[in-house]
Amino acid sequence: MSVIEFAQVLYDTELGTSIRESVYVFPILEGLHLIGLAFSVGLIFFTDLRLAGLFLPKVPVADILQQLRPWLLVGFALTIITGVLLFIAEAAKIISIPVFPIKILFILLAGINALWFELKWGRRVHEWGTQNSLPKAVKLAGWTSLVFWSVVVITGRLIPYLNYQQ
Amino acid sequence: MTVQELFHAIQGSEISKLIGRQDHLLGAIAQIFHIAGLILVLSPILIVSLRLLGLVLRKQSVNELVKATSSYIWVGLALLAFSGALIFLPAADHYYPNPVFWFKYVLLALALLVHLTLYRKVTQGQNTSIALARFTGVLALVLWFGVAFSGRLIGFY
Repeated sequence: MSVIEFAQVLYDTELGTSIRESVYVFPILEGLHLIGLAFSVGLIFFTDLRLAGLFLPKVPVADILQQLRPWLLVGFALTIITGVLLFIAEAAKIISIPVFPIKILFILLAGINALWFELKWGRRVHEWGTQNSLPKAVKLAGWTSLVFWSVVVITGRLIPYLNYQQ
Repeated sequence: MTVQELFHAIQGSEISKLIGRQDHLLGAIAQIFHIAGLILVLSPILIVSLRLLGLVLRKQSVNELVKATSSYIWVGLALLAFSGALIFLPAADHYYPNPVFWFKYVLLALALLVHLTLYRKVTQGQNTSIALARFTGVLALVLWFGVAFSGRLIGFY
């Protein structure tokens, strides 16, 4: 089964059809997707700025990472759940929009960057996280995250507009 | 002049027509700036409100967090106003009968009012009671996230 056929199957499921045709469910999912975004990308934004040295530079990195993490993960859970439901409802249309795979690609890249940071640096944050000047690789991970998530938001917002053009 | 006539005059103005004549990708770019502005407003509100509720960064004072984040709010509001104007001006007639559009602006007015009064007082004060701090945190979250949520819904009604 090709990806396009799979998208069509999702689109035709009872779940997909009922979300798509509901006057309330689809808009509410879009609204919750946005709120999840503010929690996830919004808090990642400040985490990244801390790694770049531009937000609360005197506060240990470990404090920022640990304190914001649970809220950030709640945000990601909400964004992903609503995102998957929105995708199911529109799968057959969205799968053919070229900007959509770019969005998914950058979600994966941002995830890989976060995983690399966590394994290489996050686990021993107490060794470097209180220094005045953070390691270059840490700053780079912060900026990379900022850029990747920005691309995700931009390409995500473009989905309905590039659809309209076709 | 009624509000409806005012909206009609806004849509008919030269600037609105000029914006309306542009490629539809201008609308998409305006939407991108709108969502960027939104994140710049909501994330500082979120961090400070969570702190007011005592849920994050308790070692830092509320005032310290406000100082470190509030400039993003004003940059975000400027982006929102500019991109919002690009979206609204060429389609004013279309928005006039939309109840969600009006609901958003009522919430926005309330959010700004609270932000410039109670929120400012509580986040700058030294001896704010925990109950008032928590109330302010919840109120700010509900109002600002309500603006974003209802804003996202405008296009569906």
